[in-house]
Amino acid sequence: MVRSALGRPNPLDRRPKRLAPFIPALSVAAASLLPLAPVVAEVGWLPDTGFLLLLAWRLLRGDAIPAWWAAPLGLWNDLVLGLPLGLSVATWTAAMIILDLSDRRTMWRDYWLEWLLAAALLALAELARRQVDAAMGAHYELAALLPSMALAVLTFPLAAWIANRLDRWRLGR
Amino acid sequence: MAPPTSARPGWSRRAQYSLFFSFLAAIGLLLAGLGLLALNVAKPQLFAPVRGVALDVTAPVTGLLRSIGDTVGGLVSGAGNYWDAARQNGRLREENVGLRRQALQARAILLENAQLKAALALREKSSVAVATGRIVGSSLESERRFAILSAGSGDGVAVGMPVRAADGLVGRIVDVGATAARVLLVSDRANIVPARLLRGGQAVIATGRGDGTVDVRPLEVGRNPFRRGDVIATSGTGGLYPPNVPIARIIRLDDDGAIAVPLADPARASFAIVEQPFNENALPPPAPEEAAR
Repeated sequence: MVRSALGRPNPLDRRPKRLAPFIPALSVAAASLLPLAPVVAEVGWLPDTGFLLLLAWRLLRGDAIPAWWAAPLGLWNDLVLGLPLGLSVATWTAAMIILDLSDRRTMWRDYWLEWLLAAALLALAELARRQVDAAMGAHYELAALLPSMALAVLTFPLAAWIANRLDRWRLGR
Repeated sequence: MAPPTSARPGWSRRAQYSLFFSFLAAIGLLLAGLGLLALNVAKPQLFAPVRGVALDVTAPVTGLLRSIGDTVGGLVSGAGNYWDAARQNGRLREENVGLRRQALQARAILLENAQLKAALALREKSSVAVATGRIVGSSLESERRFAILSAGSGDGVAVGMPVRAADGLVGRIVDVGATAARVLLVSDRANIVPARLLRGGQAVIATGRGDGTVDVRPLEVGRNPFRRGDVIATSGTGGLYPPNVPIARIIRLDDDGAIAVPLADPARASFAIVEQPFNENALPPPAPEEAAR
């Protein structure tokens, strides 16, 4: 029997990718690089893309990224984006711990609740950054945060979709 | 409902321990991150080498992508310039004649100025360009306004040096790697530039607002001296920025000051010049933001 070389892959052959346990973390590290795009803008409203994808992964699966991996990923984010060193380390790890604790509290989980959790954590991270910026000599009023906060919250569904697609791909589903 | 008393994953000791230790590790790393952050806020110079290396690694990527984008953009806008060439040509020629007259006038004034200064025995250094670089990127994800410049300590750039473009002041260097540097833009909240109004010469202070505009206040409280369209330039006070570099143009007045837009738009001014600080003593930071606070 002749088998088509370009035919559909046999469903029985599908299996997880070789690097499947590390793909979530690697995708977060890659997402941190996104604001390096060669755009010179007068406003910085782009969300913290690495943090968005980290939250999306964590809310999709509790075990995709172990909580303590958030620290090295955050350090990478700080270094690449030139943020104050330690800021993402602290906020990302804190977010993972908060989600671990909230997992024990919540009785059910649906899409809206996940979005709400992500929105709260994104807002908290922005506020923390404002405090640190103020400590480093750049005071700005709360209203200056609102556009970037809103953009981050509205982009979260996209991050959740990307995490979902990546998850299906890495697991060979 | 109250949470379960323990988060046991099952009867496996190994699973229980690994969960427990990963939780401990996360808390420990959180504390380490906070410590790092506190250290970084207290002594930002401590991590300068690390930040410099990171800058060197990331800047070439951004630079490469930027040059590709510029080429494509240049092809498009270049084609657009041919569209209305005849009329454009006529207009430019008229403008050219006008500008030539102004330049002659300016040269005469310059000569007179030099003579007057010589008569007063006023000592003044001309500004020295240290390096020229391309502005390859900016901070897109934060309210702080930084830009990445493709010149680093290998070209003689050091922290604290002022950066200007042909149109006006861009900012000053805050981080430096071997081949790239990070520039604190004039529109950043932490950048406070002593300036003066070009019309009348009143001393003002320009502070960034973080959204691409600059907040301008007169030093002495009184009548609002600004008018729409006024240009402010550096005054040279403080010794960091050279005097008479244009900074921004006023676009809107508010009760005791005005809002201005920087003349050197880092998005368009792709080349920037790093200069020696006007006064060498200004180089080792205390940066002007601390002096002004």
